[in-house]
Amino acid sequence: MAVCVAVIGKDNSPLYIGGIGNDTGTDNELSRQWLVHTALDALEERLATTNTNNAAAGTNTARADLRDLYLGLLYSTDTHKIYGYVTNTRIKLVLVTSSTSPSGSNIRDAEVRTALRRLHALYADAICNPFHLPGDQITSPKFDKQVKSLMLNNV
Amino acid sequence: MADDIVFELLHSEIINYAMEQSKDNSEKKEADLSIVEYIGFAAGYKVMERLTREWSRFKDELDTMKFVCTDFWTCIYKKQIDNLRTNHQGVYVLQDNAFRFLTNFSNGQQYLEYAPRYVAYTCGLIRGGLANLSINSIVTAEVQSMPSCKFHIHVQRV
Repeated sequence: MAVCVAVIGKDNSPLYIGGIGNDTGTDNELSRQWLVHTALDALEERLATTNTNNAAAGTNTARADLRDLYLGLLYSTDTHKIYGYVTNTRIKLVLVTSSTSPSGSNIRDAEVRTALRRLHALYADAICNPFHLPGDQITSPKFDKQVKSLMLNNV
Repeated sequence: MADDIVFELLHSEIINYAMEQSKDNSEKKEADLSIVEYIGFAAGYKVMERLTREWSRFKDELDTMKFVCTDFWTCIYKKQIDNLRTNHQGVYVLQDNAFRFLTNFSNGQQYLEYAPRYVAYTCGLIRGGLANLSINSIVTAEVQSMPSCKFHIHVQRV
């Protein structure tokens, strides 16, 4: 399903970017980074509207949805769709699907939501490693393996 | 409960260890509790990531403080904070009338001078939890009469 997932820290620095497939070349690495970063502006914008809506404190019906951690489809290009999720601790989780592959083009919102929730759980486990310092890149091979299997299981 | 006592005993051993270390390192009268505070910070930071997983986004700072007083405290000390006060300018006072690390001591003045050692970890815990929620703060504690303890949180605004 997913071609790439990323964990972005509080200060928009990438903590982890993982993709699947047999391509581990530099070009693919760069295009992944680029895809993920195009979504960050849309993500910030989505967060900002959440805050203003809450400040207004009106009886907005959409308000409950805006306080959800899952932000939905952020950005779509000709070839990819980018979904976002921001935790309470300002960690941004980004998932990229390919709209050219048959499994990625008709993916349901609920599936992406569950995948991102599971990624959040994996992240929370990875952060509990006592050798990991807050704000560092996640280099754990275990986390990498779990994320890869998460991406593959949802094909 | 058995799993509670494990945490309490480990905590008191950490304090003993830190006291031992600072005795070796320097001849200062003041005990060095910064290591204990840092252990608390790391723990608070990690616990917060887990605890807020199922929560919707916090509205504002006060909402976050309420979370610390209720769910965060319940998770660690099996009770809620008894009193939360704020001046709405970044100072919060959390009062616990029966702070768990102090309940086993005498209720009188007997061990009052040792009380600061047993609140350092918790100061770090609060600071770490808030730091992960993007609130930078300074947390200090105050013990006036024995089992009750007040935590002062000064939020650092840029």
